[in-house]
Amino acid sequence: MDRYRIMVIDDEKIVGDMAKMSLEQEGYIVETFLNAEPALVRLKEEKFDVVVTDLKMKGIDGMEVLRTVKRLYPETRVIMITAFANLDAAIEALRGDVHDFFPKPVKIKELKASIQRALSKQK
Amino acid sequence: MKIENRIILSNIFNIALILLIGFFAIQNLNLMLTKLRFVEIADDLNASFLEMRLSEKNYFLYHDETALSDIREKIDSTMQSIELASKDIGRAVGEDNLNLLKSHLKNYSEVVEEVRRDYRGDSGLELRFRSEGKRLREFSSTMTQLERKGVNNIISTSKNILLYSFFVILAMAIVVSHFISQRILHSLREIQKLAKSISLGNFNKPEGVIPDDEFGSVIAAINSMSEELRNREEELIQSKKLASLGILTAGVAHELTNPLNNISMIAQNYVELYEKLSTENRIELMNKVQAETERIEKIVRNLLDFSRPKEPDLKEADINDVVRNALRLTQNTLDVSNINVKLAIEPLVPHVFIDEQQIQQVFVNLIVNAVQAMQPGGELSIKTRLNAGKDSVEIDVSDTGKGILHEFLPHIFDPFFSTKGIGGTGLGLSVSYGIIKKHKGNIKVESTAGIGTTFTIELPVVRKGDY
Repeated sequence: MDRYRIMVIDDEKIVGDMAKMSLEQEGYIVETFLNAEPALVRLKEEKFDVVVTDLKMKGIDGMEVLRTVKRLYPETRVIMITAFANLDAAIEALRGDVHDFFPKPVKIKELKASIQRALSKQK
Repeated sequence: MKIENRIILSNIFNIALILLIGFFAIQNLNLMLTKLRFVEIADDLNASFLEMRLSEKNYFLYHDETALSDIREKIDSTMQSIELASKDIGRAVGEDNLNLLKSHLKNYSEVVEEVRRDYRGDSGLELRFRSEGKRLREFSSTMTQLERKGVNNIISTSKNILLYSFFVILAMAIVVSHFISQRILHSLREIQKLAKSISLGNFNKPEGVIPDDEFGSVIAAINSMSEELRNREEELIQSKKLASLGILTAGVAHELTNPLNNISMIAQNYVELYEKLSTENRIELMNKVQAETERIEKIVRNLLDFSRPKEPDLKEADINDVVRNALRLTQNTLDVSNINVKLAIEPLVPHVFIDEQQIQQVFVNLIVNAVQAMQPGGELSIKTRLNAGKDSVEIDVSDTGKGILHEFLPHIFDPFFSTKGIGGTGLGLSVSYGIIKKHKGNIKVESTAGIGTTFTIELPVVRKGDY
């Protein structure tokens, strides 16, 4: 069976690094990006099973990443992360067909569990 | 005193003056009438005396006895008319003159009696007769002339009084109206000053005594209005501060959340993957934690710097050097964003008296803002020059960026106001403004959407006595 591909987009480098470090232990293939533009370019080349993205970013933001992913790969699940523990942002994200929503600081175990749920639903 | 009362008072004064003048005029007319009546009577008397003297002449020329009795009759009728008109005559010429006239007439009548009784052609009596007659006639005609003159005097005096009082009333009217209009203008100027100071945002009570007139109540009303405005302004400032605090809290929370999240994620991995990590990996992770705590510390220190602005350490300096240093510090940012720099400095611009560190921070803030406002390929232009008054150095920092929306311009120096979204604390321009004000300088902004923004800083030229 192919290994699942997971993309992490966050302008904080450590978020990507730590997510990659933890998720690779689970056997996933992880690619990290500091902003959305190169991430979307990469997505057009290849399908990812789960995209974890920061909501507020300079340039293209998380909501636009979500829309682009859903257009390209409707079955790919998107998980949002944000530094703003803002209810409005969460509601907006969840309305937009987002799989899950994590305010910072992120609990990595919960993130992993959420990714597992997302993958099991895709089967 | 109220202005209305002043006007009423001056009117009352004028009316009283006019009544007084009218009273004097009537008095004069009455006196004149009396005198004229006397003159009439005196004319009659003069005619009688003239006849007496004619008869006197006839007696001596023709020794006509009837002439004497004519004189006698005339004397009696004259006596009678004097007695009849004695009141009028007395009033006109005075009791003394009346008595004198009577005694002259009496003397004359006695001489006539003597002549009738004893005249034998002796010249002594004749002479006395003639001289008494002459004296009577002269006295009477002198009195008449005197009274005529009196009447003329009264007429000319009345004319003069009327003329003078006309001028007095005119002068009064001019002086009073001038005085009142001065008062009104003065009060209006006070109110104008007050309104101007309120429009400049000064809601303090005006100095000086509030006048006790209609304008006093206007000024009192304006005062209570400005007091109300001041209270409202304080409320507004208070609510602004609260809003600012909210923005600050949100900003700080966001700034702190990222490094905290980083530390948290590192710690989770460190615990979870401890066995699988090499010593080098563990050290690397802990170094990252250290770097993140330094990031937090920096945020906290900036916040403290903002809440406790430092006093400037002033020294004489060349502003062009400060500009060059600021550009050197921001060179990397400028290169990364591909910004062209155009420097137009006036080489021999006078020195300024500044804290170089702080002014440099202002320029760095402005340059970083300019870079963030521009797309790659934009142009940053910095100009220095002496102002027209030759007492300040002016520095323009211009960009070719997106410009600041017109409605944001009044707020850009407010603390925590930011148009940058995430990443802007809203403190940069506010701190810069504070620094420039502490240098007794000025900072202005001009911006056109889509064309660019220019910040102009004015700093006073160094003078003797600044040290």
